[in-house]
Amino acid sequence: MLEVKKVGIISCSGEECAGGGISRLAARHVLESTRPGRTVTICLPLFLAGGEEERYFARTFPTITVDGCEKRCAFRATEKLSGHVTKALTVSDILGAESAAAPSFSQRQLNPELERKIDTVSTALTEAVDEIMGKPAAAEHLLKPTVPPAGMRLL
Amino acid sequence: MSEKNERKVMLVPCSGIGKVHGLIGREAVFRVAGELRPQDTELACLAEIVTQDKEIRERMNGRLTITVDGCPKMCAEKNVRLVGGEIFTSLRVVDAFRTHRGAQAGSATELTSDGWQISDELADRLALKVDEARQGGNKDA
Repeated sequence: MLEVKKVGIISCSGEECAGGGISRLAARHVLESTRPGRTVTICLPLFLAGGEEERYFARTFPTITVDGCEKRCAFRATEKLSGHVTKALTVSDILGAESAAAPSFSQRQLNPELERKIDTVSTALTEAVDEIMGKPAAAEHLLKPTVPPAGMRLL
Repeated sequence: MSEKNERKVMLVPCSGIGKVHGLIGREAVFRVAGELRPQDTELACLAEIVTQDKEIRERMNGRLTITVDGCPKMCAEKNVRLVGGEIFTSLRVVDAFRTHRGAQAGSATELTSDGWQISDELADRLALKVDEARQGGNKDA
């Protein structure tokens, strides 16, 4: 068993429903404010558009996916293209299907209600990060838990 | 797919989460789809395109699409091609910065007034490309 130093977060950032925007902003909040330095991210489409080093992401870091809707695209794409997902969160499970399926929003449209929803999801995500940080990583799912392969662009 | 939807131009931003460029492109696409050309455009989730599921392949197959990419990795364009989308043109946010040297656009979390200006200008360009696509203009790619 290996000690976990950083946790990977991959959000779907889906453009077709509010859940995607909520997943994106919740992930950004955790990366910047609640667990900076303990979390890293990567753009999901880089698993196909990038190189082998980018596809190593989920084999390098224990990874949490945050999906907007029940299609769980970030979870499925990460498992298929990168590696094992340690924890999968879905906005529709946390906030309800109606909130997640609402129309997508510009950040110009942010309001207290949306901010409360983003805060709720970022709290769940922060707790998931802490849960993983508190546990040793399962070695069989990790390639090199603290040393990214050469060329990996951490965001 | 209805004939009405067939004529709509699909818009796919990269929505990159690591840099301001991803957010600028995402917001430009939302402005076009929501305000400037709502009747002429449709959005597709890039994350779903990445899954390459049958459902999204069927939806994207042959669909005239404009992608907006934040960085030279061109994730949106590459992923749309992989599921059979027909690229009308690919816009790059880095190009939109050429007339804004030294602009402090914000971050991947929020845009400054400079960032919103760049995004709005990109949206105006994108809207014109949508018009070209609907009028059967020549593809860039």
